[in-house]
Amino acid sequence: MRMLSYLFSTLVLAVALACGGGSNPAPTATAPSTPASGLTYTDPTGTGWRLVKDASSTPTRVVLNLVGPAGLKTRGAGFNLKADATVRFGTFMDPSVPPISTGWPIKDTGVFELRNTDPRDPFTGDPVPLDPQDPILLSGAVKKGNLLTVGIFQKDRRATAKDSAQPLCQIAIEFDASAKLNAKDTIALSIVKAKYVPEDLGAFNGGVTTWEMLAKGHPVDMTIAVGSLHAN
Amino acid sequence: MPRQFPHLMSALGLCLTLGAAPLAATPAPRFDKAVLVQQQRQEAARMGQAQIHLQALRTQLGLGDKEAFVPRNAFTNPEGMTVVRLEQTFEGHRVWGGQAVAHVDGQGGVQALTQSVRTGIALSGAPLITADFAKAIAVAHLAPKGVMKVAPVVEQVVFPAEFVGGLATQVDPVTGRRVLDRRNSILARPNAPYVWAYEVRTRVDNAQDGTKALTYLIDGNTGKILRINDLIQHLDVPAPAQGSGKGFYQGSVATLNTSLMLDGTYTLWDQTRGTQPNPYLAYFSADAPTGWNPALPGNQVWYKGSDTSGASTGMEYLFQGNTTNVWGDGLPFTQWGDSGGTNGQSAGVDAASAISTTWDFYGSVFGRNGLDGQGTSVVAMVLDPTMQPWFNGLDNAHWDVQNHTATFGAGSFPGNPKGFQSMADLDVVAHELAHGLTSPNPYQALVAQPGYEEGGIAEALSDFFSQMVKTWALRDATAPTDQIPATTLPWEIGRNVGHGTPIRYLNKPSQDGWSYDAWFQGIRRLDPHHSSGPINRALYFLSQGASSTPGTVNYSACLPQGMKGVGNDIAARIVYKAVTEYFIGDGTGAWTFEDLRAACIAAAEHLPYPYELGRVFDADAVRNAFAAANIGDGAGKPATTRVLFTPWRDGDYIQISHPFADYSNRQVLPTNETVMPRVTVINNANTAVTWSLGGPTTFDTNNTPTAIAGGVINADGSWTTPNQIGWASITATSKADPNQFAEGIAWLANLDTDMDLENDALDMAPIAISWYLSDTLNYSSSVIAAPWVDDLDVSFFVDALRSTWPVK
Repeated sequence: MRMLSYLFSTLVLAVALACGGGSNPAPTATAPSTPASGLTYTDPTGTGWRLVKDASSTPTRVVLNLVGPAGLKTRGAGFNLKADATVRFGTFMDPSVPPISTGWPIKDTGVFELRNTDPRDPFTGDPVPLDPQDPILLSGAVKKGNLLTVGIFQKDRRATAKDSAQPLCQIAIEFDASAKLNAKDTIALSIVKAKYVPEDLGAFNGGVTTWEMLAKGHPVDMTIAVGSLHAN
Repeated sequence: MPRQFPHLMSALGLCLTLGAAPLAATPAPRFDKAVLVQQQRQEAARMGQAQIHLQALRTQLGLGDKEAFVPRNAFTNPEGMTVVRLEQTFEGHRVWGGQAVAHVDGQGGVQALTQSVRTGIALSGAPLITADFAKAIAVAHLAPKGVMKVAPVVEQVVFPAEFVGGLATQVDPVTGRRVLDRRNSILARPNAPYVWAYEVRTRVDNAQDGTKALTYLIDGNTGKILRINDLIQHLDVPAPAQGSGKGFYQGSVATLNTSLMLDGTYTLWDQTRGTQPNPYLAYFSADAPTGWNPALPGNQVWYKGSDTSGASTGMEYLFQGNTTNVWGDGLPFTQWGDSGGTNGQSAGVDAASAISTTWDFYGSVFGRNGLDGQGTSVVAMVLDPTMQPWFNGLDNAHWDVQNHTATFGAGSFPGNPKGFQSMADLDVVAHELAHGLTSPNPYQALVAQPGYEEGGIAEALSDFFSQMVKTWALRDATAPTDQIPATTLPWEIGRNVGHGTPIRYLNKPSQDGWSYDAWFQGIRRLDPHHSSGPINRALYFLSQGASSTPGTVNYSACLPQGMKGVGNDIAARIVYKAVTEYFIGDGTGAWTFEDLRAACIAAAEHLPYPYELGRVFDADAVRNAFAAANIGDGAGKPATTRVLFTPWRDGDYIQISHPFADYSNRQVLPTNETVMPRVTVINNANTAVTWSLGGPTTFDTNNTPTAIAGGVINADGSWTTPNQIGWASITATSKADPNQFAEGIAWLANLDTDMDLENDALDMAPIAISWYLSDTLNYSSSVIAAPWVDDLDVSFFVDALRSTWPVK
């Protein structure tokens, strides 16, 4: 895909040079560029998996909700989102996850049941109170190349799958004044990879793996529509 | 975590200066035993004074009405000061690790050490689970195969979250590699700085389980195990073997204190030493025909039963039934199945004589009543045919903190040429009994496991006092008994046991091939018997000095100018005072080499008459001796360059804030990923380091790899980790001072669970699909190479992702 894009750009450049070869075009007036001070996000169209703007967004921080198609029940989702280096991914402080000081690049919206639904003492098998610090599958990072990778998954298959047509998690993109963006500059966003865990993982069998589980226990590839992001 | 004693030092200094007698031409006795006995009678009253003083300090200490101090025990030092240890309580329940130490003088003046007092406890109500439930959790985890000799003891306590235990590892018997010990790893995060907990003290001692004394801390709200402490302190040696042993070390012993029993026979029961009964004997019943009674004090020597093949019978017996009161034949032990007979008695004679010598050493030199200062009697178990197999079988010895007992293996030599002879030689016995000095009860036991500098300290202190006992025992007949002669014996442990090859060397510990001579960050990962190296060497330097000639055995590049030692006697007094008055083990494992240095300096600055004129020299000698082992700075010297790993993570499930557990200064990282190690160099303008794979702790005593030395160090200082799950280590060495380095260790986890050759958050999906199933659904292996997936995998994954790509 990258090679095709490069080839296409080169062809366009070559055509442009051919058209203008030998001529002296008249000077045109160029509108002065206006330094940007914030970001504008326009939601994508469609009703499938998509990233839509949340009302908590501010002029310099765009909060995006991951929303799925109506009628699809899932047990968690994750995606890798690549952005231009002119913006940075923001974080959320969440008291329900380990008390880190720098925050998390993903926020749980409370749809998924992230914790153990039936905590038991591992040695006696007796029920025990839920550990408020029960480890959960909510995590994210920003890798080299401004690639955000985030995921939120229900670890306990005894929890029911959840309707995806609602904000399942949030991410944030922040304006970076040091990037010297101008108003109306476009910031490229692209989903590199995305998967969800389906509702049907095979019937629960008291903790024993079955052939049905092996057959159905796979994350499913998905396509997430991303809107457009501009500086303003 | 250096401890500071400014208030106490200045106050004590004043007291001692005012109270010092004028110098006389002839040195006065170190202490007047009659006066000391008189003052010891006031200990109960002084304990009360100490309690009143601490209670009055509560507001100043930031404590409230719910908190209190309860005296645990006390002893009176030769200067007439009663040292009282008090436990902190909250609503009547002990605060785990919370304690104070008070010095009470004859006039009722009290000075307190309060750095171990815990503040900010805000608990209310009661635990959600019952004590019986906590006990069941502990017993279920202990899973004894044999009969428990005593029922577990449960106590409700307040537990500080900072002391939550950590990861445990074990050697895979198949591969020989050190792998995660999932069963004994702690994964618990209390939701507050303090939580209600139950301390469950368990004990098994039978043929199926060996000897275990595990203390569990159970979260009173969640029932999760917060910490496991092993209260058995071991003498570990590098040659696992099986076979037989000998017991001829003491040769002819002219006087052996025994007891004539009611039936006319004799036992190895020394009623002249020990004023309190041994707690372990309470598990046994009195024997009317002989008059033996567990409630009676006196040191005793027992033996472990075996059959004729050398297998353990699981029984223990007092050496008894001797009709002549003549013991042993001085020959190597060969009579399996008859350990109590004449041949087996030889080991009993060795142990009895060595215990008496050690007991008398502390009494004569320091005025101490036994090992714990309370006169608690010692029981020695010799000719142990089994020992715990994970501690080298027959060739081992250990001290049991709970029971005040010492156990010595029968030895496997010569059946095993690399094994040891009987372990009941004087220096081994004195080593084990010194644990009774430095860990006088379970509440103040130094944590002796790998992963804690305290473990190395405990072993080094035992080695040092063993050396002092040997030296004192070989004094001239006319030498004063209250001083340790300046005689220079070889500074080593276990030459006789090792039939000519010492187990350890104090003057240059690295001669054993496993120990290190100088401190480095990460040394606590070593077996405590080898992490002890720097302390052993520091105490050797303190006594004997250090050479300024490179290449000599007592030269240290950390102190190239060398130093003059203070001699055996003063060195021992400094160390004794330090460990009994300033260095107080509290069962947390928090004390470091730097803390021992600070305690020794404080002790040197408060040496009593007639040593007070040398205080400044002695304190500087302590600074230099420890600096020569790379602990702290030398006297008047600039701050030493230090290389220190810094935490890579922030608020992870696997706690990084825990300052001393197995995973401290370690992190969870992905396999086969390029990461950027973080290290700081302080006290030097040149902060450049050289990275290398592996480090000093990469192999343990048995040449078993404890960590992977793999991957690639890249030109930019990053590290591409190897594609192998497990501990991996790297070392950073200062370019400005190559003597300074630190070893960092990381647990490498496989994050690529979906096998797309990329580590990302989508790899959590297979974990979710596989969580708590009996068999993995991972397409590859699980995160930490176990056949199932649970919260450990969740934690490792999340932590590794964050530590590799921290979000700023």
